[in-house]
Amino acid sequence: MSTAAAPSTTESSPAPILEARAVAKTYHLKVGRFKREDVPVLHGVDLGVEPGQWVAILGASGSGKSTLLHLLAGLDRPDSKTEGGVFFESQAVTRFGSRSLDRYRARSVGLVFQFYHLLPELSVVENVLLGAMVRRGRFAYRRAQPEARARATELLESFGLAHRLRHRPSQLSGGERQRVAIARALINDPKVLLADEPTGNLDHDTGQAIIDALAAERERTGRTLVMVTHDPQLASRADRVVHLAEGRIVETSRTEADPS
Amino acid sequence: MYQALLTRRYLSSKIMPLLAAIAVMLCTAVVLLVWSIMGGFLVMLLDAGKAIVGDVAVSWPTAGFAHYEDLIDRLEEDENVAGATPVVETFGMLGLPDGRLQGVTVQGIDVQSYARVTEYERFLYWKPTDGPTPDDDGVGGDWRADEIGPWPELLADGLALGERDRVTGEFEPALVPGIEVAGFSRRDPESGFYRFGPVGMRTPEGDVRWESGFLPFLELTLNLVPVDRTGRPIEVVTRSYPVANEFRTEVFQIDSSTVFMPLAEAQRLLRLDAAELVRQEATDPFDEAFGQVEVLDESPARVTTVFVRGTGSMTPAELADRCHEIYMEFERERRGQVPPAGATRNEPGSGSIQITTWEQRQGMLIGAVQKEIALVLLILLVISFTASFLILAIFWAMVSEKTRDIGILRSIGATRAGVAWLWLRYGLAIGLIGSILGAALATLIVWNINPIHDWLGRTFAITVWDPKVYYFSRIPNDVEPVKAAIVVAGGLGFCLLGALIPAIRAAFLKPVEALRFE
Ligand SMILES: Nc1ncnc2c1ncn2[C@@H]1O[C@H](COP(=O)(O)OP(=O)(O)OP(=O)(O)O)[C@@H](O)[C@H]1O
Ligand SMILES: [Mg+2]
Repeated sequence: MSTAAAPSTTESSPAPILEARAVAKTYHLKVGRFKREDVPVLHGVDLGVEPGQWVAILGASGSGKSTLLHLLAGLDRPDSKTEGGVFFESQAVTRFGSRSLDRYRARSVGLVFQFYHLLPELSVVENVLLGAMVRRGRFAYRRAQPEARARATELLESFGLAHRLRHRPSQLSGGERQRVAIARALINDPKVLLADEPTGNLDHDTGQAIIDALAAERERTGRTLVMVTHDPQLASRADRVVHLAEGRIVETSRTEADPS
Repeated sequence: MYQALLTRRYLSSKIMPLLAAIAVMLCTAVVLLVWSIMGGFLVMLLDAGKAIVGDVAVSWPTAGFAHYEDLIDRLEEDENVAGATPVVETFGMLGLPDGRLQGVTVQGIDVQSYARVTEYERFLYWKPTDGPTPDDDGVGGDWRADEIGPWPELLADGLALGERDRVTGEFEPALVPGIEVAGFSRRDPESGFYRFGPVGMRTPEGDVRWESGFLPFLELTLNLVPVDRTGRPIEVVTRSYPVANEFRTEVFQIDSSTVFMPLAEAQRLLRLDAAELVRQEATDPFDEAFGQVEVLDESPARVTTVFVRGTGSMTPAELADRCHEIYMEFERERRGQVPPAGATRNEPGSGSIQITTWEQRQGMLIGAVQKEIALVLLILLVISFTASFLILAIFWAMVSEKTRDIGILRSIGATRAGVAWLWLRYGLAIGLIGSILGAALATLIVWNINPIHDWLGRTFAITVWDPKVYYFSRIPNDVEPVKAAIVVAGGLGFCLLGALIPAIRAAFLKPVEALRFE
């Protein structure tokens, strides 16, 4: 039970699984040899994500959506002077040491990027298994290998990629690549899936198919999903849409889950 | 786990690691190649240098010292001495059949004891062997392996340092020159065996006529210069000798400039044999004292050097010290009759007897080679550092190219150490492949260095290994496994060194920045 209730959640809602409290982020740019320029991007973001919730973050390009998502994923740290931070199941992710942070990324969250970010040298199934390999050590992975393989195949099958296991990413279409990336993010069964414009690089229909796949997966597992997009239509599929503008969450709208 | 998979994939799908592995391969190959050849060269030099002079030499050059039999007896009584042999060393001019005069080092040896102290018999070249037999037309193979040939007789002549008279069966004194002295016996570059070929003969008109011949069937003229007790040359003595055999140590410098002759003969020509110092009472035939000879002094036979061979229980230096002790005792009992013993065993120019190890005697030869090896290894070390920077550059480029992969790996939870290990492992793999291939390449080249060198000589007229410079007529072609292992380990080490900095860089790359990398 979290003692400090996040301002953005109503009193009746359950404790957030992932929460940003007054998260600020300023990039320090080097300009020239001696001058530094501060680029403030986030000015105090408050966002609580309830377990099982699908949250869409809408915002203009450059508004800091990716920055926020990276902070939530523990890939980057917010400005240290702020007393808030990122909390996962009430634990202060921001205070994690580098080892705990690695473990957090490996187990608790899964990340999907706009540009797929698959490793070109590995086959589809190897890309998916990479998550399992990284999570377990060498020997643990050896032991868990059949299990991990079964899960990888199952995931890829559920995304309609059963026949492409041995293919290289370069032999796949964009939509197929993104589905592989989602499968990789899900291999360790994370509690939260973070997707940064998963359809940003795809045409409308393919994007819809990706969102359908995400929705179907969530339907099966009840996974928490935080999705960044700048497409309001896609955002409307989510349980909840928040807007990011001028470094703050400016508006929250709760859409009743649209079954269609 | 993912490191192994990625290393394998990176290795097989990129041209960069191939280039890096080739760089490593060439470097290790060059280092091992040069080290093997230079090292083998030194070993050959030491082996041959030692085998021809024994372990320790007691010498009093030019004038020689007397009572050497007594010294040899005393030396041989010592349990650490396997044998000792008297030698007369001098310089001479060897007259060849074609009229050339060749400056040589002449060693008058007592062949029986000399063969005990040194490996004289091994070095005699013309003797029966069981090598590959030549074809009918004499092409290929080892001529000495041919059963019809004078080889047993030549061996007997060589061991007797004389030529057997067909009628009396007695041996008359003969010479054994080094096989490169006259240049009439030629080394076949392919097989390494010596053949005899045309021999130049000086005609009475002064021309040189080439006819087929074989040095052991010919005669050589030896010119020596005896000196009197004050060290002044008397007059040149010239004598012709038959050739009993030829010898080959493979040290070109020795083989091209040394001639063996019987000790007694050398002593006689150099007037080092036993003699009486006399005074003829009168020079006037009408004087009644004419013809009366007064013996003033007896001068025993002398030698310039005694070679000593140890039993192997002591190092040459220890043996030399022991010989010095024995000599001091010997000199105490024969004070005034033999050269003084110095306070220490080897003080050149000090006016005392010189007792040296074979390494000191061959010092010029060995020292030069050791310096050369040190220099070459230093250069190779610099080359290896260069290679290390090359690997560093290649790895730096590879890490840069893979920056996004590092970001991806970190985003799915890979640790800093895990990413660093990925690159170290990659470097290790490239190092392992490169250095093992390099060692294999070097081994192949070294094993076939002589044919390769001869082929280079035939095809491009390139002669890198000139026996006149490198003493040996054959390039050493042995690769010591220890050296190969050290070089492979060194190659691996340099690769790790080269991969270390990029690995650390990869580990400290911020995941977000790595992901943003275009
Ligand atoms: N490493 C960095 N250094 C400096 N400025 C940065 C850095 N990363 C991002 N920014 C700046 O922060 C702002 C927000 O970037 P971010 O990528 O979060 O935006 P975004 O909302 O995801 O945009 P898009 O919709 O185009 O992906 C941008 O103005 C960008 O220039
Ligand atoms: Mg973005």
